[in-house]
Amino acid sequence: MAALQDILQEFHRIAASPQEQMKHYLAQNKKIVVCSPVYTPEEVIHSMGLLPFGTWGTDMEIKEAKAYFPAFICSVMQSILELGIKGAFDGASAIVIPSLCDSLKCLGQNWKYAVPGIEFVPMTYPQNRNTTYGKEFTKAGYQRVIADLERITGETFEDEKLHKSIEIYNAHNQAMREFSEYAKNYSVITAADRNAVFKSAFFLEKSEHTALINQLLEALKETELADVKKIRIVTSGILADAKELLAILNDNNIQVVADDIAQESRQYRVDCPIAATALDRLAEKFATMNNCSVLYDVNKGRASYLTELVQENKADGIIYALTKFCDPEEFDYVVVKKICEEKEIPLLLIEVDRQMVNYEQVRTAVQTFSEMLG
Amino acid sequence: MYTLGIDIGSTTSKCVLLEDGNKIIATSLVVAGIGTNGGIKCMNEVLENAKVKREEIAYIIATGYGRKNFSEANGELSELSCHAKGVHFADPEVRTIIDIGGQDAKVIRLNSKGILENFLMNDKCAAGTGRFLDVMATILQVPIAEFETQARSTKEPAKISSTCTVFAESEVISQLANGSKVECVIAGICNSVASRVAGLAKRVGVKEEVFMSGGVARNGGVRDALERELQVSIKYSEHSQLMGALGAALFAYEKIGAAE
Repeated sequence: MAALQDILQEFHRIAASPQEQMKHYLAQNKKIVVCSPVYTPEEVIHSMGLLPFGTWGTDMEIKEAKAYFPAFICSVMQSILELGIKGAFDGASAIVIPSLCDSLKCLGQNWKYAVPGIEFVPMTYPQNRNTTYGKEFTKAGYQRVIADLERITGETFEDEKLHKSIEIYNAHNQAMREFSEYAKNYSVITAADRNAVFKSAFFLEKSEHTALINQLLEALKETELADVKKIRIVTSGILADAKELLAILNDNNIQVVADDIAQESRQYRVDCPIAATALDRLAEKFATMNNCSVLYDVNKGRASYLTELVQENKADGIIYALTKFCDPEEFDYVVVKKICEEKEIPLLLIEVDRQMVNYEQVRTAVQTFSEMLG
Repeated sequence: MYTLGIDIGSTTSKCVLLEDGNKIIATSLVVAGIGTNGGIKCMNEVLENAKVKREEIAYIIATGYGRKNFSEANGELSELSCHAKGVHFADPEVRTIIDIGGQDAKVIRLNSKGILENFLMNDKCAAGTGRFLDVMATILQVPIAEFETQARSTKEPAKISSTCTVFAESEVISQLANGSKVECVIAGICNSVASRVAGLAKRVGVKEEVFMSGGVARNGGVRDALERELQVSIKYSEHSQLMGALGAALFAYEKIGAAE
């Protein structure tokens, strides 16, 4: 069995080299479909023999995309378009972009003009998803994706094959949840390691990623738990993958014991249940997903969910990493702040951005939070 | 036993030398912050003032923006923790600290034991900070030290936005072009800083008593405007700028105590 650090290194390598991964799959004559955030139905793409390849953009200076976006808009979207314009996804057959927030809608529309070589496939989700008509709407969205992908790639969709892909994705969800549960107690798993495990999932075929996770879990089970006192934190937000931020968490003796990050655990909380057809299974899954700023919820249950995460994981506090200009996350923060004050849960708000170059303010805030809790 | 706290900010360095964790022996302030020799100069000055040698100091804690780069320090802590500590030592009744420094603004809430229980920092923007005042002083060619008298000399402050330093700069120029008096513009500038920082304070929750620390605390125009915005009286000391360094020196003493 490979040593723990070797396996972690492999996750870091994959997470840091999406373009190498793309080349690797293209060399095997795989047809790649880029999956934009958030909740792109990867299972459908996978079942058609295509390779879903996730992207959340990257930390970079945005230049070309500025011609298409206003200045004050989510930099995740801007960096995805910038990568597209600069050829980072060249060789991909299509990109699927869901419609779950206004910025994503802009990304889809701009993509058509900015990156004409990679066809844009919209995935339109309903706001009211857990009703009969909502599920039908979701299924109609999937059918549009299927029809577009059949036309673009020449591959065909079969419900039976989707059942098989769903099982692969359910197994992956399970592995990711198990990893998160294990990682919280192992001080050897740094915030950067944890993030690399989650991030690498976007650049590997899911059964390959599950196999790697299972190796990691085996290695962890054989690792002795170190008696190290760390500050136990739950992270929340759209993404928290900047190297500098992860290093700051580490420098301040912080262990991420659970997350409510869209790029991380939010993807893996809910499995596809049993239903009449495989597409119904997918629609059922989307209907029952919750606790996310871009999934409409009149009761804003995410706030209570976060406090439960704190209690279940014996966390000392929450770091809310607010992606700059993300309206859905800004709206949720108010509710989260209120419930944290009621329950006396320490909450730190930091602002993150794909274009950040200076983290000194974040460093001071995290250090103060750590000193306050330590 | 001597302990030393040094607060290296973006524009100034401050030192407090403490004896036995409760007696301030000497202080110093040098107008040179991170990236300069301000830290060393400031420390040498405080040692000279107190006639104490470097080797007599049992422990040094650095704080402020330049805390990571001061090689003389035995440890470092964030300036928010240090301001909380220093202000509580100086005035145990304080529950809210408004600290406006050279390039950022912070609001700190303390409990009755002086323990930091909540805080908020400004977003990455010069509006509502000392830098904002510096920029405006340069445009108006009025020393910041005169802002207080000028702001207090008028009852008709000009309207200056608190959103952005660059926008505010062009507003100031427009106001002057339209014939506004300099003192009215200065009063408007103080209101602008206060409005921005009051927003931060309200998010944390203002609990009396309120104390203002940091370099901008010296500006009575901003203090007056903040009192009006928050509807509370704001305490201030002529040593407000030294509170971070004082807190660092107190923490340094606790470190020695813990070690012994």
